[in-house]
Amino acid sequence: MIIRPHMRGAAALAALALAATACGSSQSADPDTLRIAGPFEIHSLEPSSDGYFFTRLHVTETLVTADFEGNLVPGLATEWSAEQANTVWTFELADGVEFHDGKPMTPENVVAVLEKMAGDAASPLADVGVKTIRASENAVVIELSEPNVSVPATLSHFSTGILAPSSYDADGKVEKIVGTGPYEVAKVSLPSRIETVRVADWRGDEPDVEKVSFQAVGRAESRAVMATGGQADVVFGLEPAGRERVESTDGVDMESALQPRTILMKMNAADPALADVRVRQAISMALDRESIAEAVLREKEIAATQLLTPTLADWDAELEPLTYDAEKAKALLAEAGWTAGSDGTLAKDGKPLTLELLTYPDRPELPALATAIQAELKKVGVLVDVEVTNSSEVPAKHGDGSLQMALVAKSFALISDPLPTVADTFAKGGSDWGTMGWSDPAVDQAVAALMAGAGGDEAAEHRRTIVTTAQEQLPLVPVAWYRMNAAVSDRVEGFQIDALETSWRITDVELAE
Amino acid sequence: MSRLGGVIARRAAQAVAVAIGVSALCFAITQRLPGDIAYRIAAGRYGYDMVDAEAAASVRDELGLDRPLWQQLGEWVLDLLQLDLGRSLVTSQPVLTEVSHYLAATLQLAALSIVVAVVVGAGIGVVAARRPGGFADRFSSLWVASVRAVPPFLLGLLLMIVLSAQLGLFPAVGHGDGGIVLPALTLGLSLSGLIARVTRDAVVEVRGSAYVEFAQTKGLPENWVLVRHVLRNAAVSLVPYLGVQFVVLIEGVVVVESLFAWDGLGHSLVHAVFWRDIPVLQATALVLALLIVLVNTLVDLAVLGLDPRPRGRAVTA
Amino acid sequence: MSMVMLEQTLGSRPVRSWTRIASLAGLGLIIAFALIGPMLLPDPAAQDLARYLKPPSTADPLGTDDYGRSVASRVAHATRVSLLLAAVCVATALLLGCVAGVLSAWFGGWVDAVLRSISEAFVAVPALLVVLLVSALAAPGSMLALYVGLALVQWVEFFRVVRARSALVLGSPAVEAAGLLRLGWTHVVRRHLWPALRPLLVTLSSLGMVTSILAMSTLGFVKVGLQPPRAELGLMITESFPFYDAAPWMPLAPIAVLFCLTICLLGLRSPQEGR
Repeated sequence: MIIRPHMRGAAALAALALAATACGSSQSADPDTLRIAGPFEIHSLEPSSDGYFFTRLHVTETLVTADFEGNLVPGLATEWSAEQANTVWTFELADGVEFHDGKPMTPENVVAVLEKMAGDAASPLADVGVKTIRASENAVVIELSEPNVSVPATLSHFSTGILAPSSYDADGKVEKIVGTGPYEVAKVSLPSRIETVRVADWRGDEPDVEKVSFQAVGRAESRAVMATGGQADVVFGLEPAGRERVESTDGVDMESALQPRTILMKMNAADPALADVRVRQAISMALDRESIAEAVLREKEIAATQLLTPTLADWDAELEPLTYDAEKAKALLAEAGWTAGSDGTLAKDGKPLTLELLTYPDRPELPALATAIQAELKKVGVLVDVEVTNSSEVPAKHGDGSLQMALVAKSFALISDPLPTVADTFAKGGSDWGTMGWSDPAVDQAVAALMAGAGGDEAAEHRRTIVTTAQEQLPLVPVAWYRMNAAVSDRVEGFQIDALETSWRITDVELAE
Repeated sequence: MSRLGGVIARRAAQAVAVAIGVSALCFAITQRLPGDIAYRIAAGRYGYDMVDAEAAASVRDELGLDRPLWQQLGEWVLDLLQLDLGRSLVTSQPVLTEVSHYLAATLQLAALSIVVAVVVGAGIGVVAARRPGGFADRFSSLWVASVRAVPPFLLGLLLMIVLSAQLGLFPAVGHGDGGIVLPALTLGLSLSGLIARVTRDAVVEVRGSAYVEFAQTKGLPENWVLVRHVLRNAAVSLVPYLGVQFVVLIEGVVVVESLFAWDGLGHSLVHAVFWRDIPVLQATALVLALLIVLVNTLVDLAVLGLDPRPRGRAVTA
Repeated sequence: MSMVMLEQTLGSRPVRSWTRIASLAGLGLIIAFALIGPMLLPDPAAQDLARYLKPPSTADPLGTDDYGRSVASRVAHATRVSLLLAAVCVATALLLGCVAGVLSAWFGGWVDAVLRSISEAFVAVPALLVVLLVSALAAPGSMLALYVGLALVQWVEFFRVVRARSALVLGSPAVEAAGLLRLGWTHVVRRHLWPALRPLLVTLSSLGMVTSILAMSTLGFVKVGLQPPRAELGLMITESFPFYDAAPWMPLAPIAVLFCLTICLLGLRSPQEGR
């Protein structure tokens, strides 16, 4: 093809336009910036909704924080103690803490933030039963209306990250994030990007990485391309196919850690069909969890054998594992009165055994697992309608009682101590993301005793009661555990995944030249 | 200039009608959408698996979602008259700031895509028109059919794999750092096919016309003829076409925006529908609709300017 | 000017007859595959988790996907869904657009004014918004919602083109003469309108099919269209794309069908619908 002069001009123009916008493209990775990419978008600056971005990026700090094992360690508070049977908690604050705006942090500042969160339904601090919060010299005192042992763990939750008064606008809404951590916000573009830089003369050890950027990327295939193409240094949340590609690419490796999170089926035990424990057990036995995990998650080791991950050592009672036995499942269903019709579908009194399984697309493996579960249950004659919808339908349908089964990914350590979450999961009368239409007096008693501060062997016995009953009664049918993963570029040294996601541990990281 | 005035008056009336219609429609439809609106908003605010009955109840209280519908709509209209679009139900940011941020991103992407489309499309078209039936012409036919048959998301994925993952030329996502190149290329190439076809046909037609023959007979150099006569006259049919393409483009961005994590209007529209963020939905739809009216107005005016011959009753309006 | 009108003027270049024959043959093959395939091939939803990502073999001519489902069977089902839904959408839009367009051109006056303002309103509202909202209204993944949404978006094109062309035909001396001869409206429709509109409608319909099929797959991509485990071309492409290097047969099969389908439909455009 002959290109005439004017055409050449046009082509040059196009090339110029593209080149101009492509300046500083992926090839020239800034040597001082750690580039992180992850699936979740930053919808809001309010700490109770998306505050975790800023705790993980070390911009804000909480009074208490957790180490890799989930043990509580000092954050902005140096020590804490409880008096009057766990109803009055005192947190001594660290000295010399400065906000990023240069103002010193006072106990009054901390009280203001905590009071706000105690009144915010979305923060776990609102569930603790706070009566008053007051400043006392260089400490903060929290008085409760009833005993609670998990106050320090609750204060490690991201919603209680301490913000400077200058963070709020006239209406009390957060308009910018002014924290106390080793990094300060350089730029936030909602909903997709945060850039931070190292604080000069921070009170602690200076981290090695000078600048950090976080980019939200919704599609897993795009994230995989970023990881293999060297366009980001740490990429969270890769799907199996992307993981395999990363593993075969030089210069980038997969890191992973088992999270205290379980993918489970929430069962409505008040549903006519599911009220029979044999039906729930049969559904559990009909699942070939290892094959499902192998095919969908590419890792059969994370097929669940019990509700809580074995990494939660305190809660591991060495239970009889849940196993796959399709024949026994069929037998149990027959025993419960369900008989197979000519096409193999089970029915009782002329009504077929059809169940609706709700799930949501925010975690891409959930719809995939739902499809696999649907196929497995069909083999024993149980018909499942999968409905992929908004996650809020789960609590909404829990509320109006119309839910049958829901496949959800439930974290058992929203704060470093699983107890409050377990207590909520097995709350009397059910809970939005926990049991439904199910109760057991022994479990209720055990939960109450633990929350009141039972310790030692007594506590271990209560924990055993809870997990054993859950394993037998199956108000929640575990499917798989959850392995958090990240693709990490070779230029990042010292990166370690924190399964509790308290922070991304950027302060431990060094960037190679 | 009465015709100019007429065009503007007609389009302005359309804009007002569209604005009222679109906002009422959005409002009515979000109310009819399945699922409890308070739960949806809470899910958007607090994260998808953090939403519970308590959070939903506090959202309902805070936003007054249990007030009668006419009251909620009335309030929105009153605020709109004062140019106050309200705050997003999910992010609590003023809608105006949020939507203008998205609009800027979308326009930026759309503009660069149009540049790519026109340069590639018109380029192929002009070359093809030089010798109808020749090799270049056949290649252009193939190009037109191929880009029409491939949905933009597929083209985007292919470009991402080739240019970003394999060759590492451009980043796959994000603003700045050249992140705009791949989405703009995707959209631009998708559009270039039809532009190539229009240009080619227009150029062939105009070239065969009497005034071009005259210009050639006059002895004007070929390139001069091409620019002075052929392109200007071809532009008369190309401009309305570009207008339509721009509209298609603005809609097409949603997919590309989702693939390349580009925060534009399409992105915001999809999110607003998912989360029942009524103020953002209304504002985004409003902006999109007005943008379309604006483009149509500009096209009308441009055609008027390029081709001032009077026209009869425009049946094809 | 509308999108399809412009595309249709582009078609003024005669499409060679052998192109049409080849397109028809190709389309016939695809339709046969969509009709017969599902009868011969295994259940598209039947999973065999032990046999995921197996390359093509005699048992599974196009290999298996990540759930061990037969790709061939899924593609056949997906093609059937796409073709059927697109045909129904286009038929509805065609009927609606033709009736409204002819009425508008025939009666003029307030009928024309009302119909035209409705169509103008539709043009100004983003098509995407219409489809998004309609599909959000129904249960997720509902076929009906997708159908209503796509048909609503497309009828405007038919209306505008039919109205413009009918106005020309009805204003022609031939029709005037027919009126003077009192030959009745059936005569005018049969002898004058229909011959003038037919080639246009063929082109519009084939373009409409392409638009519907692409729109469906695009909606599947943004997760607003049909939902898993239903086989749909766009959804299959999206779901299989992450496996492009591990199992290239997975994305290639639906991409090839989608591409051939649209190319054949484009080749069908009527050869003489010029001005």
